[in-house]
Amino acid sequence: MQPRVTAILVARNGAKHLERTLKTLSLQTRKPDIVITVDCGSSDATAQLLTEFGPTQFIAADADLHFGQAIAAAVRVTPPPTHDRELLWLLAQDSAPDPNALEVLVDALEIAPSVAVAGPKVMEWIAGEYIHNFGESMTPTGATVTLVESELDQGQHDGLSDVLAVSAGGLLVRHTVWEQLGGFDPALSVVDDSLDFCVRVRLAGYRVSVVPAARVASAGDGVAGPNQSSRGRLRRRRVRAERSAQLHRRLVYAPAWTLVFHWLSLLPLAFLRSIGQLLRKEPGAIVGEFAAAFGAAFNGMRVGNARRSFARTRTLGWDAIATLRVPSAEVRRRHSLKRESSLFGLHGDRPEIRFFSGGGAWTMLAAAVVGIIMMVPLLGADTLTGGGLLPLSPSLPELWASVGYGWRDLGLGFVGAADPFAAVVAVLGSIAFWSPSFALVLVYALAFPLAAVGAWMAATRLTDRGSLRALAAALWVLAPTFLIALATGRPAAILVHLLLPWLFFAWIAAARTWSASASAALLFAAVSASAPSLAPALLVGWLLSVALAGRRVMRFIGIPMPALALALPLILDRGLRGDWLALVADPGLPVPSGHAPTLQLLLGLPGSDGWAAVLDRFGIVGFDPQLFVPILLAPLAVLALLALLLPGARLASGAWLVALLGLGTALVANQLVLAAIGAEPVRVWSGSGLSLYWLGLVGALIIGLRSLRRFASTPGVVAALALAVVVLPLIGSLHVGTAVVREGTGQTQPAFVAAEAQIDNRVGTLKLTPQADGGLLASIERGVGATLNQQSTLDSTDQTLSIREKMLAELAGNLASRSGRDASADLAELGIRFIVLQPAGSSIDAADTALRTETALDGNSALAPVGDTEFGRLWQFGETDTAASTPIPARAGGVFGLVTLLIALTVVGSAVLLSLPIGAGREAVRQANRDAIRRAARADAKQKPRRVRRGKGSVASDLNADLDVPLGTDLEADLAIDRETGVGTGLEAPDGGTADSVEDDHAR
Amino acid sequence: MPDKSQLARIGGRAGRGVLGLVGIAVVVATLGAATLVTLPTIERGAQSSEILPLPSEQQRVCPGPLLTLAEDSTQAQSASSVGAASAVYGAVDAVSLQQIRPQVTEITAVDDSNSRQPPVLLTVPVQNGATVPPLLAGSQSQLAATDTIGGLAVAACAEAASDSWIVGGSTDIGSTSLLLLSNPTPVLATVDVMVFGESGLVDAPGATGILVQPGEQRVIPLAGLAPNLKSPVLQVSSRGGQVAASLEQSSIQGIEPGGVEIVGVTATPATNQTIAGVRVMAAVSAETVTTGEGFNANTPSIRVFVPGTKAATVQIGVTSADGTTEGTSTQVDVEPGIATEIPLAPLAVGSFSVHLRSDEPIVAAARTATDSAGGKDFGWFSASAPLAGSFAVAVAAGPSPTLHLVNGGAADAALTLTPSEGTPVDLQIDAGASATVPVSGGTTYVVSGGSELWALVDYSGDGVLSSFALNPPGPLASSIRVYTH
Repeated sequence: MQPRVTAILVARNGAKHLERTLKTLSLQTRKPDIVITVDCGSSDATAQLLTEFGPTQFIAADADLHFGQAIAAAVRVTPPPTHDRELLWLLAQDSAPDPNALEVLVDALEIAPSVAVAGPKVMEWIAGEYIHNFGESMTPTGATVTLVESELDQGQHDGLSDVLAVSAGGLLVRHTVWEQLGGFDPALSVVDDSLDFCVRVRLAGYRVSVVPAARVASAGDGVAGPNQSSRGRLRRRRVRAERSAQLHRRLVYAPAWTLVFHWLSLLPLAFLRSIGQLLRKEPGAIVGEFAAAFGAAFNGMRVGNARRSFARTRTLGWDAIATLRVPSAEVRRRHSLKRESSLFGLHGDRPEIRFFSGGGAWTMLAAAVVGIIMMVPLLGADTLTGGGLLPLSPSLPELWASVGYGWRDLGLGFVGAADPFAAVVAVLGSIAFWSPSFALVLVYALAFPLAAVGAWMAATRLTDRGSLRALAAALWVLAPTFLIALATGRPAAILVHLLLPWLFFAWIAAARTWSASASAALLFAAVSASAPSLAPALLVGWLLSVALAGRRVMRFIGIPMPALALALPLILDRGLRGDWLALVADPGLPVPSGHAPTLQLLLGLPGSDGWAAVLDRFGIVGFDPQLFVPILLAPLAVLALLALLLPGARLASGAWLVALLGLGTALVANQLVLAAIGAEPVRVWSGSGLSLYWLGLVGALIIGLRSLRRFASTPGVVAALALAVVVLPLIGSLHVGTAVVREGTGQTQPAFVAAEAQIDNRVGTLKLTPQADGGLLASIERGVGATLNQQSTLDSTDQTLSIREKMLAELAGNLASRSGRDASADLAELGIRFIVLQPAGSSIDAADTALRTETALDGNSALAPVGDTEFGRLWQFGETDTAASTPIPARAGGVFGLVTLLIALTVVGSAVLLSLPIGAGREAVRQANRDAIRRAARADAKQKPRRVRRGKGSVASDLNADLDVPLGTDLEADLAIDRETGVGTGLEAPDGGTADSVEDDHAR
Repeated sequence: MPDKSQLARIGGRAGRGVLGLVGIAVVVATLGAATLVTLPTIERGAQSSEILPLPSEQQRVCPGPLLTLAEDSTQAQSASSVGAASAVYGAVDAVSLQQIRPQVTEITAVDDSNSRQPPVLLTVPVQNGATVPPLLAGSQSQLAATDTIGGLAVAACAEAASDSWIVGGSTDIGSTSLLLLSNPTPVLATVDVMVFGESGLVDAPGATGILVQPGEQRVIPLAGLAPNLKSPVLQVSSRGGQVAASLEQSSIQGIEPGGVEIVGVTATPATNQTIAGVRVMAAVSAETVTTGEGFNANTPSIRVFVPGTKAATVQIGVTSADGTTEGTSTQVDVEPGIATEIPLAPLAVGSFSVHLRSDEPIVAAARTATDSAGGKDFGWFSASAPLAGSFAVAVAAGPSPTLHLVNGGAADAALTLTPSEGTPVDLQIDAGASATVPVSGGTTYVVSGGSELWALVDYSGDGVLSSFALNPPGPLASSIRVYTH
């Protein structure tokens, strides 16, 4: 009896590929005896094409039938097999067989009766010389392995015959075996359906074989086997299906007694794998991960049915197929090989950052030298003091305890949300874990080189000329707002200036890589935590990015998430108090600053440039700093404006938009007085806005100079030198003593109190500070004193007086007076052991208040004077059981604190994992390879006719093609990111400068 | 077709240029608008509480009898008292104006080798539930007529303070000045005295770390600290306990006593100082004022001192105390750190009020003298601090005591003088004006109805002259603004 072949062709909206499939089917040298076509509810011309082909039978099925079910539907209409030479040929709309494919396949089954399933060599649809898929197997743990994929077919695998499994498209199976095994497992819809079937075939005692001579092209439409598209949604669906299939098979294949353990491990594994997905830059896969886990866990019927049918047909043990499995080590080896070849292919396209050869290291070194010159008076300091500088909590647990919603141990203490800046401080302090306070010294010591490196790296996004990058670094380091922040001791503003270039650096790359996107999100969080006043400007930038991102929108949409998660408790807290505006108050120790004239802000100066004082000091007359400072800064402004006229103007206008956003922020901040320290109102620091302004200006200037080419050096050097002259007094401010920052002693309390705090870390000190208006600032410090991480804008912007604050005021007022009130009870209740009267400032009223207070305290018989200390005059109040009276409440944050902390941990943790430059996962490499093959084939097809037509312009078209290619897939970019150890790819902004200049090159 | 592509290129460039110019215009316009438009300011004030301290007991120390040094030649530096001072004091509840009897305790005058009558401490405890301290006043007077001391010396019983200024005294030939320091507090007071003279700060090693035990009075001869000083100005600062300081100055001209005075504290440094009353018994000539010719210790003059480091321009306004004659005004520049004597503008005999306005904080006091058949005497008229609300005046016995009042408030003041015995007197003082009221010795008055008054009581008679200024209770009892964050 002759073998009888029933070809079953399943199609769903596949008109695009169906034509070729049908044509090749009709060209077969060995025609199938019966052709059954199944149309799964197509809405295009599929049904028409299928009927026109003239099949033996046409079945119109529902759209939701998957491949296995569609085949089953077709098999049902065939008569039951009578002998084992009746064969089923499973085809999909995109399975275009070579003319001799069926013949060879049938021969394979004819020759070896033990072979029940024969699979063809599945080739790429367009790049026909590449193998799409050839034989499948499993690792010892059950993960699917494709034996050969995305390889150029040079006959190197033609020796392969016996395999564990073959893919579904083009598979030829004996009808009897199909019936015996019940076809594909209905629980496996797309992925692993044929793998599972073949495993069952094998365990039922048959063989599965590949037939290299039979070639079937596949477009990866997703009818037979998963869809191979790299588009986000389809890709996520595929990953989810693969995981679902893997879990299903695990539960089906596992011995019964291990089922419980497998079942219990589903969710924990989903968690762990989610972390892995983040590390592999596949955040979109996480939902699928959990969906797959839940699907496997709570669909007992499917597993039960599958286990029963599996057990029914199984005749052999697992040992029988052990030799057909692929060892995991082999899988890893193959993956790394493939990955290397992918990387190699990418290296050619993109310029390197060339930090060392491009002069980045020298720029950093030069900045470090300038920094050392400025910081000479601080050399050797262990701690810094002055301005907004305070020590940090001495241990990491304390440091991190000040993050999130909970007890704020500031003054009297209260329950409230910490500023997001506390998290930044905690991270900073953790860097100097041996002595967190030293972190601030590190910031000062490394401020110049760090700023230079940041600016230099940011400039790599705009230009590949080392000299321009160095110029950007110089202009950024010498920014007056940065130097003023350093001199006035504003750690938050310094951090903003250090982080902004990196934010720009990551932001530009965010469209391409998840890693950069997550880095940008973290930097966004850090910048907006350090300077909440910048958040509106950053959000405007974010909205624009989202609007312009197109299909990369997901990469941008999450950028503000970590910032939002960190600020969530504070935002809710503010919302409860109905005080939204105070959200933009500067975190950290409030530092008062004067109102800056608008003109001064335009020059990028949030405070005085210091020239007036210098000229005064050296008795130089005839110079008006109001006149020469703007003149000296003019070259910078002119060059930045000029950029709008030169090639790259689009990018320059973007830079100017950033600059104007920054200036607007500074102008508004200048008008906002939200906080107060004692009698002194504290203005929102406009310098952070000016950092953004400066970023835009320097960016525009670099874009402009880039287009000036070889004429760039002179104006650039002139602008930098003029700026250097302007900031001379600021650089020298630490030397001439106009800076408030100085070397600290490591203490903010008198040594006597500090010693007592060693014994009792809750010892309370009432700090009385005479105010310029004759008032008195009373604050309580516990233990060794105030720390930067405990500062809270909730306190500094508080407009109400609590009962305890009133009590403190009453106590302080009476202590500072000749009073009939006995202070002992209040002092004991507030846990105060010491009273420090700080020296008065220059004001007469303050001096009067200081004298009055000192007199009153001296005359108070309940207090024993200790003496004068460097922090003021100290008195001691008897023995108070301070620990009992002022403990930190346990779990002050309550459920709200825990929930918000978990949210912040999840969001920030995800962003951190996502930003880690671990590189692409296995799946990404596979996809990249597939995409590369297809793209190469397409490019090849396109280029040939063009070359012929244009002749001379071929170079340009090559270049353009090269430029287009990197825009292709995110996976490629993912691969590229780890090449640079996470700092990005150094890819020139393809939309802006390079493209422009390339065009220009050819225009000339 | 090269022409077409060239045209397109030129067109593209032109378009780009126009767009660039538009961009520049937008940027410049935005920056310009930023400089021109003034954004509204949102300013939140600091939160504070005005704390009025609970009143505490009131204490006043009367300096005690006049002292002299030279009575026992073997102990030239030790003082001994001469005669006895008669003190008048009284206290009333500030609200009900009920009389309260002050407790009188004695201060041990450890340096008085002849302590027949010690200085006294007046104490009035706070009544239960009172929110305002009681009004307590006291003053003492002594008319001396010995070989070495002659004249009238009256003094207010003063509150102890940690920082007080005394403008007065002299250690020139013929003058003796004794600094009296009384410590009424229960805490040991460590007193530093800074003596400034006509040539600046005097380096006086013994002037620091003077220990005044609780409940004791120390007498420090000023000549021991700063000899041959014509015009001393003293800053007395104490740590620990507080002291009530006063300066006894006596002079001998030839072999006759030239007068005696107990100089009380003057108002602490401020840019505005007011001396509520200055009695001139002998007019100064215009020549003395303009040329300094004939200026001597008896010339009506004002001693001004600038504690700071910058020279002060001081406007001295002198108006007749009863408002009958036109006031005069002179302007002088005063060097910092140097006590400066300025003759008062040519004045007729009578009483005047003196206002000093300066651009730097100053301290000041005025001095006049009398020389008549009855004898010689001089008097110091100290600047004082304004009295807010009601206050008590205890008038010690003496010749024709007169209360000088200056209304520094913005509104006219309708005052009531309620004597301890007798009928109340109503008195109207216009804003900025001054008034004199004759009062009777041995009586305590309560002056109510004022908001910002300067007050001084002077005594004058044939060959006698003296005064004491009234000061409000120390700043320690006033309200204070407290910030808690």
